[in-house]
Amino acid sequence: MFQIIKRLWQVNWAEQWQYRANLLMYLLYWLVSPVIYLAVWTSIANQKGSVNGFTANDFTTYYMMLLICDQVTSNIVIHSFGYKIQDGTLSGELVRPIHPMLTNALINNIAFKTLTFMGLTPIWIILYFLFKPDFSSVTVTGILLAIPVMLVAFVLGFLLSAAVTSLAFWTTRVYSIHEFYYAVLLLFSGQFVPLTLMPKLIQDIAQYLPFQLFMYYPIQLILGKLSTQQIIQGYASAGIWFVIAITLFNWVWRNGVKRYSAVGA
Amino acid sequence: MHTLKLLSSFLKVNIQMSLAYRADTVVNILLNLMWLGWELLSLNIIFSNTTTIGGWGFGELIALLGVFRLANTLMIAIIWPNTEKFNQSIRDGSMDYTILQPVNSLFLVTFSRITVWRIWDLILAIILIVIGINMTGDITTPFNILTFILLAITGMVIIYSLWIVLIAMTFWFTKFDNNVTILQALMDSGRYPATVYPAWLRVIVTFIIPIAVATTVPLQALRGELKPPQIALFMLVSIVSFFVASKVWKLGLKQYSGASS
Repeated sequence: MFQIIKRLWQVNWAEQWQYRANLLMYLLYWLVSPVIYLAVWTSIANQKGSVNGFTANDFTTYYMMLLICDQVTSNIVIHSFGYKIQDGTLSGELVRPIHPMLTNALINNIAFKTLTFMGLTPIWIILYFLFKPDFSSVTVTGILLAIPVMLVAFVLGFLLSAAVTSLAFWTTRVYSIHEFYYAVLLLFSGQFVPLTLMPKLIQDIAQYLPFQLFMYYPIQLILGKLSTQQIIQGYASAGIWFVIAITLFNWVWRNGVKRYSAVGA
Repeated sequence: MHTLKLLSSFLKVNIQMSLAYRADTVVNILLNLMWLGWELLSLNIIFSNTTTIGGWGFGELIALLGVFRLANTLMIAIIWPNTEKFNQSIRDGSMDYTILQPVNSLFLVTFSRITVWRIWDLILAIILIVIGINMTGDITTPFNILTFILLAITGMVIIYSLWIVLIAMTFWFTKFDNNVTILQALMDSGRYPATVYPAWLRVIVTFIIPIAVATTVPLQALRGELKPPQIALFMLVSIVSFFVASKVWKLGLKQYSGASS
């Protein structure tokens, strides 16, 4: 098994490395929104002193951390896998004795992430000097508590995206459905603004959804903004959603593959 | 006249192409509405926490969203599809046939593909602008509205010119598939007034990739913040940039040697 994973890593790393220029462009594209939100909110906070308790520095540290958390927990399953169901490339992978999604696609995602982190690091340092955030509230405990949550959130997010992507077994084209899923994710994850500044209703719903685990929760954990009770709630939510995501993905996948008729066969 | 006839036949072809995927078109319009809802919600969240951003009120931000959507439609309905086709034609040499046509090649390359359903987006954009202007109330004069329209067009011409320069670069560096990504990436900065950005970002979106010239500047005209010499300057810049762009395009065409030769 280890041998297989090593080979898969080599193949996927080589594939991603080939597209490193595209990847840098993707990184730039992805970066613009958080940087703009940072600028907009810090400008409002500066003008009013603070927004609902958030100072300009709170916003700066929030979005600077968001750049890291989003990059750890996000995935590209829809782009790396969606077309395989659509055009039938999946057939070749299905006859292999390994799970196409849980080994190949997962490793492909990790290779992609490793490479984006190599690009993000220098950019993040430049942004650090441009915005000069004050990270004094960050604690080692916070970081140590956030790392397992972020890893679980990545796998959880991967499974949910994989489940959505697998709907292509029924609908062939799945990009629109995924775009809708992504919009819901953006709304409840805290990507636009720290969730506590959202309308009460959205905050309440976000409590029960897994999406805050992708950004809001780990960011606030690192920044030392959560109470012990909130930390425990977040961990519980991560655990419960992890089980739900595995079950959901397995169910969608199993039924989907049964329906799969391979285009062109 | 000739050009108009061509443009209308391009439209006809593109309508036929999009009618082949009707369900897709409907879904796309629904998704588009969803993103509009998201944009309005985010403005609503901002203004539930403050009354102004950088001195701009809610109505002005709605109008800005409208202008942003105009520029974004130019991007998605024309720049994207044509760039894709153009890059392909440089790689496989089908650019030969484009040059052979007895029509201005620049016109052919930049207008032959139009994502027709996006016209819907233009209508939405105009509605947003009208609502936004109405919300700003009595401070807007007819002169301001006129300069607003003028500068919105000027801004589009500048973005269009920059696009031509970017795709013309492909004549020199054949494998330059990412030629418009930089434009697309910074597009989102047009949703908010550039005046709230830190200086370095403002310089980028005003002078290097001038998204703000097509979004923030027209809004400033609407607010009556621009003086006639500034307005004249922006118009001059757009005319000059268009001339420079078509010059670069012609130079690039001379550089083109086909894919197989």
